[in-house]
Amino acid sequence: MAEKGQTNVEHVGGVVRLREQHEKVVKDCESRMQHWRKVSGDYEALTDRLQTLPDQLSYDIMVPFGPLAFMPGKLVHTNEITVLLGDNWFAKCSAKQAQKIVDHRMKYVKNELDDLSKTMKNFEARVGFAKDLETISANKGDYVDIREEVGNDDAALTKGKQRIAHKPNSKPKLDVVWDLKEEDEEDEGESGDGGSRKGVMTEEELWARLDELEKLEELQDEQDRLSDNADMNGEDTSSSSSEEEKEAEAAPPVNGLSLKPSWSSVSDSKAPLSTDRKKDEDDDEEEEDNCLPTIFFSHTVEPKKVRINTGKNTMLKFSERKEQKEHSKRKKKNGHNNGHCHHELHKITTPADIYRLFVDVKNGEPIPRKSILKSRSRENSVCSDTSESSAADFEERRMIGRSFSHDEHSDTSDGITEEDSPTTVPLQLPSRYEAFSGTVIEKDPMPSAVPHLTISPPALPTILERKQEEVAPDVSPPQQLPKRVSKFKAARLQQK
Amino acid sequence: MVYIRTASQTFNCLVGLVRAFKTHVSKSMSARQKLETQLAENNIVKEELDLLNSSNIVYKLIGPVLVKQDVDEAKATVAKRLEYINGEIQRYESVLKEMEKKSEQHREVLTSLQQEFQKAQGLAAGKV
Repeated sequence: MAEKGQTNVEHVGGVVRLREQHEKVVKDCESRMQHWRKVSGDYEALTDRLQTLPDQLSYDIMVPFGPLAFMPGKLVHTNEITVLLGDNWFAKCSAKQAQKIVDHRMKYVKNELDDLSKTMKNFEARVGFAKDLETISANKGDYVDIREEVGNDDAALTKGKQRIAHKPNSKPKLDVVWDLKEEDEEDEGESGDGGSRKGVMTEEELWARLDELEKLEELQDEQDRLSDNADMNGEDTSSSSSEEEKEAEAAPPVNGLSLKPSWSSVSDSKAPLSTDRKKDEDDDEEEEDNCLPTIFFSHTVEPKKVRINTGKNTMLKFSERKEQKEHSKRKKKNGHNNGHCHHELHKITTPADIYRLFVDVKNGEPIPRKSILKSRSRENSVCSDTSESSAADFEERRMIGRSFSHDEHSDTSDGITEEDSPTTVPLQLPSRYEAFSGTVIEKDPMPSAVPHLTISPPALPTILERKQEEVAPDVSPPQQLPKRVSKFKAARLQQK
Repeated sequence: MVYIRTASQTFNCLVGLVRAFKTHVSKSMSARQKLETQLAENNIVKEELDLLNSSNIVYKLIGPVLVKQDVDEAKATVAKRLEYINGEIQRYESVLKEMEKKSEQHREVLTSLQQEFQKAQGLAAGKV
């Protein structure tokens, strides 16, 4: 640490000197510019004089006579001007010619001024940078050093081989095309069935090659995406997806900075081939007591998901359900457990399971929140999604609520139907499955949601709902605390 | 001991040489800068002479006297002067480069000698 401090001091000293030097240059530029501006002013005055001088044949003036006296006299030959061209050369010209010369000189002066101003700007910028650097190294400013340790892609599962950068002179793709072309020419020459067949074969080959290349490109893109995520982790906030798939990535809160939902789509909508669920708790911020406050980031690989705030400091990953479905075909749906365990909550296989999540109190009866989008712990929520996905979800839930609670209507609002429905949902779920069959048909939950979208718009939550929300989350956290397991770990356990 | 003494002598000589080089270099640099200003000035003169026609009378200031000159002659003279200045600049540049090289060599020798000198001193101290 002492060494670091020492280098810090040296660094600061060096930066100070750098800044001083830059400032010197700036001052020098400034003085030169002033000189040129004066010259320019003189020339302008001269221009004026040249224009008025030939008006009269002669002028009565007071002629300077030595350093101390003047004498009345006449200014004659008003159109004859002896111009100093430089380097002891003179030329006698008319006023107009002199004017031309003066213009020419003005151009030169202007050029000089422009150059100097450019240089000055440049160095002023450098001074600014040096100042910033100084404040950073002196640990005074608001700058924070963000560091991210990058592993060597050990987490990324890449199928197949990596793409090798071809040397600039080798063009494999073109070769293929060229071959085809050659063969085409050959075919034209032959013009037989055999020839045409040959052309077809090469075409197939070409398609095969194209497929291969496409695959490679996908892999590469995925790699890039993975590395991009590392970069974007810091900038990204919760984002809603592009239209096709509800894939987005939300970054964890960093150093207490509050995240605002942003709508930037992170990357292309490619389904992650490698689902590395190694998302440990993000090793977020660490303020090192160094010269700089440092934030240490660790890149976590996470498949693109939408985070829906369930209001209990938990985020539900939307596409988690899909993956879980993929992985656990034969598992019994645990929608029947009223997932009291924290991790079980995230075992979502049916829309009803989502619904189950948005319940707050489980004192025998799960009391759902009125509005899923409105949650207590908004500040912790990453997603205030109004995207299709969450809207669809919302719709789904509402529809489920409605479908299951025909008889139990409350007088206040629609939201209260949701309150009653979960009680019915778990009871009816098993029967629903029995009614179907033993097998579960895995579907993308979205298609089921889409028809619902058209039916009804979301109702605004009423004050009653909000009160409910306020009451409910208060009760829920104490229950949650003892059973707190990392949801990702939980998910992993589930998968096993 | 003898070795040490001779080493220090050579060391001093070299130091002197390097210093001489430095002064040389700085002189050349200043001369070159002067030439550059002259170059710029003569360029302007040439351009302004081109703006004039033959009806104007051109004078050259030689001492306190303004001597009449022919316009074309003046133009030619200025052109020649420009060439001369360019040549001088190039010459000075080459000289500068050479001197730089030499000074570098001397500096290297100096550093190596220094090291040897220190080693020798260390040995001597050890012996004693």
